[in-house]
Amino acid sequence: MKVAYFSPLPPERSGIADYSALLLPALSERIDVKVAKRAKTKPPRGTDVALYHVGNNPEAHAWIVDALRRRPGLVVLHDFVLHHLVAGMTLGRGDVGGYLEAMQRDAGVVGRLLAHGVADQLLPPIWEERAADFPLTSVVLDGADGVICHSRYVEGKLREYGYAGPVRVVPMPAWPSVELDDVPQHEGRSPVIGCFGYLNRAKRIPELLEAFERLRARFPDALLVLGGSTAPDLKLDEAVQEGVLRLEHLDEPTLWRNLAACDVVVSLRSPTMGETSGMVVRALSLGKPLAVSNVGWFSELPESVAIKVPVDEWEAVTLAGVLEQLASDDALRQRMGDAARVAARTEHDIGHVANLYVKALEEIGGGSNVRNAVVKDVARAAHDVGIDQNDPELSEIAARAREVGLGN
Amino acid sequence: MRIAVCAPQVLFERGGTEILAESLAEQLRRREHEVEEIRLPFKWYPGAAALREALQWRLLDLDQTHSNPVDLVIATKFPSYAIRHPNKVVWLVHQFRQAYELDRAEFGQFGEDPFDRATVRAVHRVDQRTLAEARRLFAISRNVADRLESSTGLHADVLPPPPQQLAYRPPQDGEYFLSVGRLDRAKRVGLLLEAAALDKGLELVVAGEGPDRERLERLSTEHGLDGRVTFAGRVSDEELADLYARCIAVFYAPFDEDFGLVPYEAFLSEKPVVTTRDAGGPLEVVVDRQNGLVCEPAPAGVAEACAWLAAHPDEARAWGRSGKLVAERITWDTVVDRLLAA
Repeated sequence: MKVAYFSPLPPERSGIADYSALLLPALSERIDVKVAKRAKTKPPRGTDVALYHVGNNPEAHAWIVDALRRRPGLVVLHDFVLHHLVAGMTLGRGDVGGYLEAMQRDAGVVGRLLAHGVADQLLPPIWEERAADFPLTSVVLDGADGVICHSRYVEGKLREYGYAGPVRVVPMPAWPSVELDDVPQHEGRSPVIGCFGYLNRAKRIPELLEAFERLRARFPDALLVLGGSTAPDLKLDEAVQEGVLRLEHLDEPTLWRNLAACDVVVSLRSPTMGETSGMVVRALSLGKPLAVSNVGWFSELPESVAIKVPVDEWEAVTLAGVLEQLASDDALRQRMGDAARVAARTEHDIGHVANLYVKALEEIGGGSNVRNAVVKDVARAAHDVGIDQNDPELSEIAARAREVGLGN
Repeated sequence: MRIAVCAPQVLFERGGTEILAESLAEQLRRREHEVEEIRLPFKWYPGAAALREALQWRLLDLDQTHSNPVDLVIATKFPSYAIRHPNKVVWLVHQFRQAYELDRAEFGQFGEDPFDRATVRAVHRVDQRTLAEARRLFAISRNVADRLESSTGLHADVLPPPPQQLAYRPPQDGEYFLSVGRLDRAKRVGLLLEAAALDKGLELVVAGEGPDRERLERLSTEHGLDGRVTFAGRVSDEELADLYARCIAVFYAPFDEDFGLVPYEAFLSEKPVVTTRDAGGPLEVVVDRQNGLVCEPAPAGVAEACAWLAAHPDEARAWGRSGKLVAERITWDTVVDRLLAA
């Protein structure tokens, strides 16, 4: 089986490009993969099945969805909410009608009217505040023979949304153990708390800063490392306080070194678009204890590797308590770190993840044809003995077929 | 108890699974159980036919008959274990090997196109779901149990089947090397023929029928073995017992076989067995230089082993007697007790 592989790739800067850079070598060891060139919407010649990595960024993924529309295939859904992507592919291209249609499909007449309001600039863009209410995921699911996602949370969202095709949950792969030198030594600073990535409101940075301030009351030598570029509306420079180290634009090696210097890594999120976190997986690879929000994919991390903080009015206070607990309990950090390394080597092992990809590609790539072949035989026999499509016997046959795995 | 013994039936053929199912049913009846053998024809090609057959088994309703419950279902081999029953026990002869260890190997059935790959995966799903729902899993050999565990994560206890009850005769001085079993490529009878081509002193009797017979007869002619090889075809139980009694040793070397009743029958005839290092199940009973010879899976290795046994009749007789002690330990009492206690 030859697989056409559509994804952003380095040097493009995105989590999904990094993801593919990690996955592709392992996948290529197991199955014949032809990588599609950026912006080429035609699958590479001779391929049997297409695999599309889709995220919410229109600059990175619009061409991939264009390719998907030409030829259905297996979609790797890195975000469940795709409103921003769809807005970019419609309004961003001057296709107001396309946006109206997408909104109407998600929310009927109300959706269409709201879309009119946005297109006419009478309403603020929906993707800034209310994207989760209008995920617009159907634009991608229409062409999906099946979906790979990274969490039960997204699988549940897909079913709620009405997607009836096959869905496979494949864990995020972890980076293999990395040799690090020149790890920053934050002399006299302890504990070192790290938060990395694109820093925006959804990463709960104000709540993190408040929690850190509380932590410093008991641990005055604590250091918070905030690494990554900042969303314009966050005004982080004004908010940064004593004990906080700001690092911008970390290249990959520098990012790893700074992660390695942390005692605890914090990765908060709300609202979630159903996304995963490459930073969390990097932290697992390095054996770092985690504090995360109790939402979406993050809530599915094992208790042994992450302490989960509810997103509520006590969020900052709870987080401060979690950080204090981790700062004061060396044995707990050690246990969580060990468990993180084990998780990286097992559940998130790149070989294991690549095997699950091959399984999903093989199951879904020709799965509908296989099911159809079996169903056709059975349907012909049913017809021959006078069972028609409305008879309950057919439901019985369908139920038995599902029991042996011949459903989705 | 009212017991249904389930096995697929390859039409007009009678091999290990058919014998096992018949023998089990017979042994259960002897112990005063009511027993029905449930057979459905099995055709595993083309394309996704094996899945259609699995669905056919699934559609059977064996919960009760004439308002009387069927107390126990014992399923044996793919796809019979897809059957639904609240008290299902599987005595696994083997899974659909073309979707597992034979896949992408010499004896595989499926290619690399998406349809074939999806069919293989769908077979895995059938197994995962329908074997996992069994109340207890047994496998006929360690080899089969290990394959099951590595492919599905399911554990099966090893429960070897006793060999069929032939009228075994006292061993006579050997005249030839005997191959017994269905003639298909995976049984590798060709290895024995090629060994005979290397050693002009070897005489062979090949008992059994199957799709590989024509090729084997051609091979025999090409190697000039006419006169030294007899293709006996399908033989009666009596003839088979006689063939065992008069051979020097039995050659049995399929590739990665599940279990193999033949070595047990050879041992009950007090004959040693020649097998190969990659034979799988037979290696669980054939111990090199104790009750047979285990050689490389190549004509030269087989020829050397056969020549050695022909030249050392005392050792061959002693190893045959040693094998008999192994075979006699496997009894139907044990098998029935364990299956019914499950």
